[in-house]
Amino acid sequence: MTTATSGKTSPLHDRHVALGAKMADFGGWDMPIEYPGGGVVAEHTAVRERVGIFDVSHLGKASVVGPGAADFVNACLTNDLRRIAPGSAQYTLCCDESGGVVDDLIAYLKADDDVFLIPNAANTAEVVRRLRAAAPEGVAVTNLHDDYGVIAVQGPKSDEVLDALGLPTAHDYMSFVEADWQGRPVIVCRTGYTGERGYELVPRWDDAPALWDALVEAMRPFDGMPCGLGARDTLRTEMGYPLHGQDLSLDISPVQARAGWAVGWKKDTFWGKAALEAEKAAPRRLTRGLLVTGRGIPRAHCAVTRDGQQIGEVTSGTFSPTLRQGIALALLTPDVADGDTVLIDVRGRGVEATVVKPPFVQVQVRES
Amino acid sequence: MSDLDYPADLRYTSDHEWVRVGEGDVVRIGITAFAQDALGDVVYVSLPAVGDTVAPGDACGEVESTKSVSDVYAPLAGEVTATNAALDASPELINTDPYGEGWMFEVRLADTSALDGLLDAEAYKAGLS
Repeated sequence: MTTATSGKTSPLHDRHVALGAKMADFGGWDMPIEYPGGGVVAEHTAVRERVGIFDVSHLGKASVVGPGAADFVNACLTNDLRRIAPGSAQYTLCCDESGGVVDDLIAYLKADDDVFLIPNAANTAEVVRRLRAAAPEGVAVTNLHDDYGVIAVQGPKSDEVLDALGLPTAHDYMSFVEADWQGRPVIVCRTGYTGERGYELVPRWDDAPALWDALVEAMRPFDGMPCGLGARDTLRTEMGYPLHGQDLSLDISPVQARAGWAVGWKKDTFWGKAALEAEKAAPRRLTRGLLVTGRGIPRAHCAVTRDGQQIGEVTSGTFSPTLRQGIALALLTPDVADGDTVLIDVRGRGVEATVVKPPFVQVQVRES
Repeated sequence: MSDLDYPADLRYTSDHEWVRVGEGDVVRIGITAFAQDALGDVVYVSLPAVGDTVAPGDACGEVESTKSVSDVYAPLAGEVTATNAALDASPELINTDPYGEGWMFEVRLADTSALDGLLDAEAYKAGLS
């Protein structure tokens, strides 16, 4: 089922082809969706119960370097970088002046004059363009998309796998260590998109294959699996984590998506501040979790009704391998409350669901 | 693709379904190894009701995986006489045993000569490549 696409390829492309992965376009990149011997449910379960590794080298990488780089980033992106110290990373948003989301990204604060960014694949060039256009004299914004690979190691056995490679583990959630592996630099950040304990490793592009091979060996005793973007999507949806382009977009602001926790409201300035402050008083719709109680799997853009009235639509929906039920994130009118019963129109059939507050499954990321 | 097989005793449709001719005029229907592999993990199946009358090409059910959903089509005209209730609790049978325990429904054919219009295994396989 390997489908040829014209997308860009990761430094691990050969590994995926050799494993017989089903490949598909993701953000312009030809990436593995699932692997033979695994499949979405088995890969998902490996991460929840043991460990899995994901090639996420399609993610963007960019640097902002120069005197005042951190202050500059802080004046652009929504979250407050002053909440963290060098050595920590932060989830943040790049908004436009209307409050729409250009991208959601992770900012690694290396030093006051050095910030490393991990935007989404499809949005990297635009984030770099906007930052570069705004950067003061002396601050350089560089697109490093093809300079680094990214490998996520996720699951309760992640520490054991990294230990086997002699990589640092057990640093605080959202902190990172600039480590050395066999003489090659690797950033080890305690982050992820699965809700499990885990790490994202950022090696140099050319070092990624050797690191991947070593991780494959190291996870063998723990019955770990290579995991594709299919499992990554079910894992993140169970956590209620948004995916840009579906749950966040130029049309879906952080206020609507209830990502206000990633906005530094008290900062003097950031892109979209005025629009978001105005919207905060009376948002026209809000993201909610929907737990399907009937039979059926909601998908993006399915209409949601209550008492015969349309109250919004699904932005992400899938089958939860953990709960063995349909789950969804949906943008609904603000009068909806947790516990309400709604109907999701799944291809003409009304499927009953309960409004809940995500996550759908217990988050394990912060355990020490 | 070498691990996917297409039994010679079945008939096939270009919609990736198989038809097993049994006793008399009742046939059993399911989806092929190719279809289940393309879908990935099947997590939900809806089937026609026993007693439904179906015509060729009717969308009479759905098979849904973690990634996508496909319609199930009636390959031939007739009346639905049975459905595989095991798929309610164990939809993954379609992945693990598509031609056996993963069968979907049975139809009493209105006209058994319509079977001649289906593909044999060789013709179906030729259409996949």
